[in-house]
Amino acid sequence: MTPEEMQAAIEALQGLSNTNLEIFYYWCTAIMILIHAGFLMYEMGASRVKHSLASGTKNILAFAFMIPTFYMFGWLIYLSMWQGFTYDPVWGEFGLPMSAIMGPNMADQATGVFWGAFTLFACTTASILSGAVIERIRMASFVVLAVILGSVVWNLAASWGWHPAGWLVTNYGYHDAVASGVVHTISGFFALGVLINLGPRIGKFNADGSANQIRGHSLPMTITGLMLIVVGFFGFIGACVLYNYGVGGGWTNIYGGPTTLSAYLFNTLMAVAGGIIGCYACTRDPFWMMSGALCGVISAAAGLDLWYPPLAFAIAFAGGYLGPWAAKQIEKMGIDDAVGAVAVHGVCGVWGLLAVGIFLGGYPGFSSWDGFDVPSINMKGQVIGAAVMVATGFIPGYVLSWIFNKLGVLRAGDGVQRDGMDSELEGVAYPEEIRSQ
Amino acid sequence: MFNSSPITSWEGAEAIFTYADSPLGMAVCFWIMTAMLIVPLVVSYQAEEQAEVDHQ
Repeated sequence: MTPEEMQAAIEALQGLSNTNLEIFYYWCTAIMILIHAGFLMYEMGASRVKHSLASGTKNILAFAFMIPTFYMFGWLIYLSMWQGFTYDPVWGEFGLPMSAIMGPNMADQATGVFWGAFTLFACTTASILSGAVIERIRMASFVVLAVILGSVVWNLAASWGWHPAGWLVTNYGYHDAVASGVVHTISGFFALGVLINLGPRIGKFNADGSANQIRGHSLPMTITGLMLIVVGFFGFIGACVLYNYGVGGGWTNIYGGPTTLSAYLFNTLMAVAGGIIGCYACTRDPFWMMSGALCGVISAAAGLDLWYPPLAFAIAFAGGYLGPWAAKQIEKMGIDDAVGAVAVHGVCGVWGLLAVGIFLGGYPGFSSWDGFDVPSINMKGQVIGAAVMVATGFIPGYVLSWIFNKLGVLRAGDGVQRDGMDSELEGVAYPEEIRSQ
Repeated sequence: MFNSSPITSWEGAEAIFTYADSPLGMAVCFWIMTAMLIVPLVVSYQAEEQAEVDHQ
């Protein structure tokens, strides 16, 4: 083979590799949409009949608003704010909506699929808020809060802790491979901030402070929705790995550390199983059993690239115990989280970050694919990261919802809540078969 | 905290999961997982026995 033929063969292989990767991320993004099909079923099923369409509509609108706003500024924030609150024009150029690569471009097979994957991460983050606030939040205010969460707040946290140059990563060795912190802790604590100002559903708490259980109208729909979310997670997790074009090639985690897809698959399946069994063991409640899959995956997510699979199972099992317990404590505080989102995503997310500090401390650092040296994994970095995630989620959620509440645009009136949030929409969920409660 | 990393460098690394170099560490994790599978089944049997009694 002549040198020219060799060069041509290398270029052809590179082109094939680019195409294969484009296909991979394209389908990861498509699979992630199943998370939203799942959230849709889950939240409609968890609502009473008279609120079910409004819960679904809210969910669909969050998804739809997230896509253009992530294009407008979400991707830009993620790429450019890795230093803290300082804009980096070098990285930022790749995320500007007027950039040549932010549209069909024959010289770029990467930006579109990565933008798409991150857009779906943003949609997932916003949808986590959605379930917590069903049956009483006003639609437009919810959409604004979801956009702020999914296209601003999450992106900032991801730029700090889920970016090869992020200051939490390069200064402290923060490790959060599949987003226990940057997605789940952020959204769980954002939801907590909103719930404090939003208040409970009518009839949730008695005068003595004791809580009533308000059951959704279709537990089978809710459980099936949760299983769809689990399916969608595999797209989410697939999109959390990158391909290293450097010497040796191969997959890397989001920071540039070496990994394999097999590593993620071993531990994701173990975590799903551990969470389900853990929740079943402590509640024997089908709703929580299936929510346990989320508790499990979120608890193990930060270290999915490194766990010994039985250890991933054990950490997820512990998360399965932690989720329902935390939900009960939050309810005792007088906070009405309709689906346990704060416990499942916020509390289990923090547990996932700390579990990495406990069990993965000492793993050596590496040079990230952006050339930064990443310190070894350590407990201090995980604690600092968890504190940053809690604060970055909670503060904007609380402040924004406090402002909306003062303006009188956060909570639907008692009459609408009593008659059903669906009364503000066209259409009836079950026109003949089921009487509205 | 538990010094569970089997590697000190990423150069030439193969089995990188926690306790990959420690048969004892792996065994402990394995048996904890086994117990976590058995205990819920025992709890389930007990709950079903109680349900049988309650519904006679």
